[in-house]
Amino acid sequence: MVGFSVIGKPVQANRSHEIVTGKARYCPDIHLPGMLVGKLLYPKFPCAKIIRLDVRAARALPGVISVLTASDIPGENSYLYAEPADQPLLVTDMVRYQGDALAAVAAESEETTQAALEAIQVEYEPLEGIYDVRQAMQPGAHQVWPDRPNICDHLVINHGDIEAGFKQAEVIVENTYTTPLIEHAFMETEGAVAYMDETGTMVVYSSCQAPHRDRLQIARSLGVPENQVRVITPHIGGAFGGKDEAHVQIHAALLAQASCRPVRLIRTREESILTHVKRHPIIIRYRSGASQDGKLTAVHAEAIGDTGPYLNAGRDVMNFVAATLSGPYYVPNARLEAYTVFTNNPICGAMRGFGIPQASFACEAHMDALARALDMDPLEIRMRNGLETGMQVPTGVTIREGRGMKICLQEAAQLAGWKDRKKINRQPAPHMRRGWGMASIWFSIGMGRNIPDHAAASLEVTRDGSVILHTGAADMGQGAHTTLAQLAAEALGVRFETVRVIGPDTHQTIDAGPSVASRQTFISGNAVLRAAKPIRETLLQSASEMTRLPSELLQLRDGIVLADGEALSLNVAQCAQNALQNNRLLHADGFYAMEYPEKLPPHNYPYAPSVFTYGTQVAQVLVDIETGQLTIEKLVAVQDPGRVINPGGARGQVEGGIIMGLGYAVMEELLVEQGITKNPNLGTYLIPTAKDVPELVIKLVEVPEPYAPYGAKGLGEPPLTPTAPAILNAVVDAIGIPLTQIPLTAERILGAIEAARPTDIQNSPKNLS
Amino acid sequence: MEEIELHLTVNNLACTLMVQPCSTLLDVLREKLGLTGTKQACGEGDCGACVVVMDDQAVNSCLVLAAQAEGTKIITVEGLAMNGKLHPLQHYFAEKWAFQCGFCTPGMLMSCYALLLHNPNPNAEEIRQAIAGNLCRCGSYQGVVEAVLATTKMKHEVSHGGV
Repeated sequence: MVGFSVIGKPVQANRSHEIVTGKARYCPDIHLPGMLVGKLLYPKFPCAKIIRLDVRAARALPGVISVLTASDIPGENSYLYAEPADQPLLVTDMVRYQGDALAAVAAESEETTQAALEAIQVEYEPLEGIYDVRQAMQPGAHQVWPDRPNICDHLVINHGDIEAGFKQAEVIVENTYTTPLIEHAFMETEGAVAYMDETGTMVVYSSCQAPHRDRLQIARSLGVPENQVRVITPHIGGAFGGKDEAHVQIHAALLAQASCRPVRLIRTREESILTHVKRHPIIIRYRSGASQDGKLTAVHAEAIGDTGPYLNAGRDVMNFVAATLSGPYYVPNARLEAYTVFTNNPICGAMRGFGIPQASFACEAHMDALARALDMDPLEIRMRNGLETGMQVPTGVTIREGRGMKICLQEAAQLAGWKDRKKINRQPAPHMRRGWGMASIWFSIGMGRNIPDHAAASLEVTRDGSVILHTGAADMGQGAHTTLAQLAAEALGVRFETVRVIGPDTHQTIDAGPSVASRQTFISGNAVLRAAKPIRETLLQSASEMTRLPSELLQLRDGIVLADGEALSLNVAQCAQNALQNNRLLHADGFYAMEYPEKLPPHNYPYAPSVFTYGTQVAQVLVDIETGQLTIEKLVAVQDPGRVINPGGARGQVEGGIIMGLGYAVMEELLVEQGITKNPNLGTYLIPTAKDVPELVIKLVEVPEPYAPYGAKGLGEPPLTPTAPAILNAVVDAIGIPLTQIPLTAERILGAIEAARPTDIQNSPKNLS
Repeated sequence: MEEIELHLTVNNLACTLMVQPCSTLLDVLREKLGLTGTKQACGEGDCGACVVVMDDQAVNSCLVLAAQAEGTKIITVEGLAMNGKLHPLQHYFAEKWAFQCGFCTPGMLMSCYALLLHNPNPNAEEIRQAIAGNLCRCGSYQGVVEAVLATTKMKHEVSHGGV
């Protein structure tokens, strides 16, 4: 083997030509003859009883074709993500948050649809509701569900002997950290187009991450078999977890079924922000103990997550928080707790990172607090405690490949000039303070040990040697299709440009599971390799017969047959023709399910994440102590994806992740008052622009992961995770005042500076008078 | 409402259309002319996904009433490629990975196109300023900057090569 011919080499993104020419079709670009405009009616109150819901006037309006309420749904009136499936598609008697839908309308035009929504009469009895997560946990608080406690889940992970661990500690530090409620802000809002085709199949174009799960949900609510629903993903304009659970695709299908017309249902930006799941705001109390030499002896962390009124993925996210709270460190004694709490605030669920960003924020801010208490360098304390291969983590899982942790840490420190940072001016102007901070993370790849986690993929080599790859994996921009095409090309021995990807279409592709948990490279990637293997063998068998050389001597590379490394005048097309001439199949399906060869951990906690990737980031910041204004001067990121398959896509994921992490650190927060979001648009909910991006220094290190395709384990979510704690630690380093909350707005930083000033300065107006 | 007659040139083609007075330029492009390359992502001028070039200026087409576009020359993403050949910006957007999901790309391309009309040799900071109103949640800003720089470099080489 003379190295890879496709993977790790620069290629252009799959279907990039469509994107740069404006031909790429996203849901809002799909137009069908006779298509109606669909919309949903959202409530006036975040918590209310519905006394009366009267749609007769709306139905009577000219141009209104369908108006649906809960009783018009032929099948199940619920989303399916969680067990129990507690979230209705259309509410019946109760509104539990601002994003509940009361009715669905399809009409001839946007204006008529809007008029129909306004003609629907709803009589509410507003209820008090519960909007504070700590109050929600108190006895006697307003219950979101009469028959279910507000604390809907409390996971406790116990490891070692926590009391003994704290007794052993020479230094103990405790802080409480707070993270904000934030928004995915994918550029394309949620949308779907649905129509009944001539065979009676409900065809749904869906901007989603889980096309095959969509199919199941749509069938179940329409009351038809799954094989009468066909879900197709067109181009998807970003998702970041927010299009994992269904959004409007079931409603669009219900309206198309009822109206016998095509229906397009696209959320406006405001509807999008008000309705879909968010990143949990979490309060984390973190207590850790260490010996004088900086070795952790115990961690007790307790996370409280406000999940809104429905389960969605909320409990799962909080379970991931618990499982990752101890960070990429060896912690001999731990108690990690996560509360999932119902309120009438926005629903929280999957968002890029799935709880790990919050857990990492607390863990890494706290690691620096502990380092300060020990008077130890942040790099040193991380090196002393960093995870290694074979170590056991609090869930009882043993680390399969852990070298990446310390490699990333050391590389990042080196690239950032960590040891020489003190030579740089810390006070470039009387009112300016410079600081440095670092954060290291571990990140779980895949669903976790206790959840089904599999994918299929199909490959076909045609008579002319071109290749068709069928994958059910959604590509929302993260580059799955490019990566899978590269893996197919490498494994078959053909050129990347000859592989055509057919993306999710449930009538053509087999389920690859959702594009979540940074899992598709690993899992669909392995499915592609398994599909490629028999086809490659068949092609080489033909090559062997045509050349009369033993097939062990032959290989395929870039579409050409090589014998003992020398190119022959024989290509893949000739081999394919020979194979088909001899009645040999050049089409294969590959199936892969995540492998867990290690023995089951003693306590089998939910998920028990088992495959980890690692990364470290270093931030250099400048703070104006008179205004609180924060400037990020530089971010250094080192991440271990196992192996880089697609350099362009990998760079995009890392840069994009850091920029999203930067938004989380310094500017993003949904302001919710009594269950109502006050900044539901992109003019008031700010995300980073090109002007907010600092100097980025990025390095990917490759520590191949066992069982992963060519060692590549995944890269979609991890890079955003260390950014916020690295920036917070840098700000604390700059101003010398502990901080425990993001976003680090100028107001928050200035507030901390002013609060820390001696009281005589605080009282200065009095002195002046 | 009574429709009004609108005359404009879109991608070098003269059009006369009947439109609602409340229609935006974005509505006309997408719904009347079927030019769905131009995207809507907020509808209120916050995101830049709908940027087109109107009389050589980048505008948020969701904020331009169709009537305001009377008599103007509009260029959209569909008008960049000539005779099946990609505009250099398009070529370098693909080569430099100036996008991931691609939804902001048409607006981003048009902001960059307008920049180059007025400033054929922008530096990185000027490019960032020109795209400051184009949100990209995938965070591919650096790729955009590199793509524009590569475009100007190429033009430079071509013009020098001709001398």
